[in-house]
Amino acid sequence: MKIKDKIYNGLTYLSAIIGCLVLLSILVYVFGKGFSTLSIDMLKDDYWSKNYLVQIEENNEAGNYSYDQDLPFSSKWGIAFSDGVTSQKEKVITVEYIDPSSPLNSLLNMTSGAQYLSKVELHPGSMIEKIEYVDSNGTIKLAGKIMKMDAQTLADTLDDAQSINSIYFKTTGGGIRGSLIATLYLILISLALALPLGIAAAIYLQEYAKKNLINRLIRQGIETLTGVPSIVYGLMGVTVLFPITTIFGATGTSILLGGLTMAIILLPTIIKSVEEALIVVPQSLQDASLSLGATKAQTILKVVLPCCINGILTGVLLSIGRVIGESAALIYTMGTFISDNPTINGSATSLSLMIWSFMSSEQPNFELACAISIIILAIVLVLNIIVKIIGKKLDRSY
Amino acid sequence: MYNKAFEDRNKIIDKIFKFIFMAGAVISSSFIVILVLFIFMKGISPFLPNYQYGQVNLLDFIFGMTYRQDKKIYGVGFIVINTFISGFASLLLSFPISTLCALFIVKIAPKRASEIMKSVVELLASVPSIVYGVFGSGIIVHLVMKLAAIFNITTAGGSSLLAVILLLAIMIFPTITSMAITAIQAVDKDLENASLALGATKTQTNFKVVLTSAKSGIFAGAILGLGRAFGEATAVSMVAGNKLYGPTFNLFDITRTLTSTMLAGLKETSGLDYDIRFSVGIVLLVVIFVSNFILNKVKDKVGNMS
Repeated sequence: MKIKDKIYNGLTYLSAIIGCLVLLSILVYVFGKGFSTLSIDMLKDDYWSKNYLVQIEENNEAGNYSYDQDLPFSSKWGIAFSDGVTSQKEKVITVEYIDPSSPLNSLLNMTSGAQYLSKVELHPGSMIEKIEYVDSNGTIKLAGKIMKMDAQTLADTLDDAQSINSIYFKTTGGGIRGSLIATLYLILISLALALPLGIAAAIYLQEYAKKNLINRLIRQGIETLTGVPSIVYGLMGVTVLFPITTIFGATGTSILLGGLTMAIILLPTIIKSVEEALIVVPQSLQDASLSLGATKAQTILKVVLPCCINGILTGVLLSIGRVIGESAALIYTMGTFISDNPTINGSATSLSLMIWSFMSSEQPNFELACAISIIILAIVLVLNIIVKIIGKKLDRSY
Repeated sequence: MYNKAFEDRNKIIDKIFKFIFMAGAVISSSFIVILVLFIFMKGISPFLPNYQYGQVNLLDFIFGMTYRQDKKIYGVGFIVINTFISGFASLLLSFPISTLCALFIVKIAPKRASEIMKSVVELLASVPSIVYGVFGSGIIVHLVMKLAAIFNITTAGGSSLLAVILLLAIMIFPTITSMAITAIQAVDKDLENASLALGATKTQTNFKVVLTSAKSGIFAGAILGLGRAFGEATAVSMVAGNKLYGPTFNLFDITRTLTSTMLAGLKETSGLDYDIRFSVGIVLLVVIFVSNFILNKVKDKVGNMS
């Protein structure tokens, strides 16, 4: 008998351990693979690598600079390089450091087009393709990757240059700035729509609705929304909501359409958390307000609602987490093309969609996917912790 | 001082606000009607005689065993079977582990371990499906590939039915566990004490009294988990592999579920290839609705037996 009990107990321990192991392996994998890619530059960079042809704007002459690290460094131009290999196994020369007073800090774009003669910054991480310079004898020469140079030869060659005619370089790309902005837009749009609607619905259901068939149906309708898979919301977005976005000038998938779709997905969450907060507001508060002569609407807006600010906040935080993590519904409504300059009317990718976009391509970039996953997980975790803290406060306040 | 005009105005404002709140509730709940209506209208259109891209035979669609976008053959029969296989298999895998884990958290674990496990379950629940997808195509797929190599089977880079099942099992684990925790916590303490007083050991009580009393709630969690397994899209698409014909019974063969079909090769936003996704969407809604309905009936029956 004892042995049998022990086996049964052991089974429950085993199940719990399996649960822990799964979580642990997800975290270890995501952090192990993505952590080295994670950097501040990644947050600021564009996703698509861009080519620039630039000229030095002023002080186009060699100076004398110093650098304390052991890297190929051109002391005349104050720039350090390193040899690198891209994910496509191509050898490149990467800029590692530029002295703050180096003339290479003020560059003008020479590529023809709208950006002609605008200022360009050469960031560490950019890849030098070609440099046209005038050497000490006054002849024009080429340097850089196209001359099959490595970092050391490039630095040495630059020390021989008395002026630089033009630099042709590639930015690193692989950044998530565009997707971060798009995610932010998405959160703002969906909350701006879902929050007032959800709060109004919660107030009606909790404070006004009598127990009759119509109100039961209304409640049932809202509860059914929770069980619909998010991919079906995507289908709804493109049929029902798309015509609405065309009024604002959208021609296809757009952040606006994604936001509208997300607003509907968020509704049940917001309604539920506001309702839960409304329930705990003491009746005596309302009675006091009503007996002082306030109308019901005044009581609700000025007495009851301020009491549920925590519930509303919980709803908002849960919603933000949901928007950041959502992917299926947005594939239909926001598109999967990664945009570096997202606009409300154009298609763009949120952080999750960005992962989907390059994971479903021929060459999935696991490192970047894991790095973005870390960001998503971190945000979701922080939101959950805040929700828990609010929940504990809510329990204590009455 | 009695001011009638003032009171009338207040009454009107009161009415307006009541109307605004009510409108909010009505609009919120009408979305489900709009959703079903529009998807149904668009999804049914390819089967109507005057469909602009060429009518599709409804019976071929429902019972078809081949789905090829390139050859304009759309049959979802095998996809429905695949969806059921992967859904129920993942439930089979996840259900016992989830239930035992919930029992561990509520009844068996020391307080500290119980709190840690609760956080673990909550964390797993909050991981977005795209992250599960990355994990699936980074780790699970490789595990499946290695496992297949032991049996001398080559897989399509590890994308397989087994990978889908494992991934879904992980994803529905927190759903079922948290429902089971609630159900087990709700079991009457007197029942347990009665069992203990009759001489049953703590473990016997946990397994024979607590679990059987909580079975209705645990079963509800399983239904919820199954719904999630059927509706899960992005993560499944990343490891399914999208087979063109089927159904798939071989664990190491690639498969295709309803949701992965809806996401596969999404390019243009018009034409038959696009509209047919709505038809698949209807099938998905029907699958979820029917399985929920049947399982709830089963649950009621099981709940009444004691």
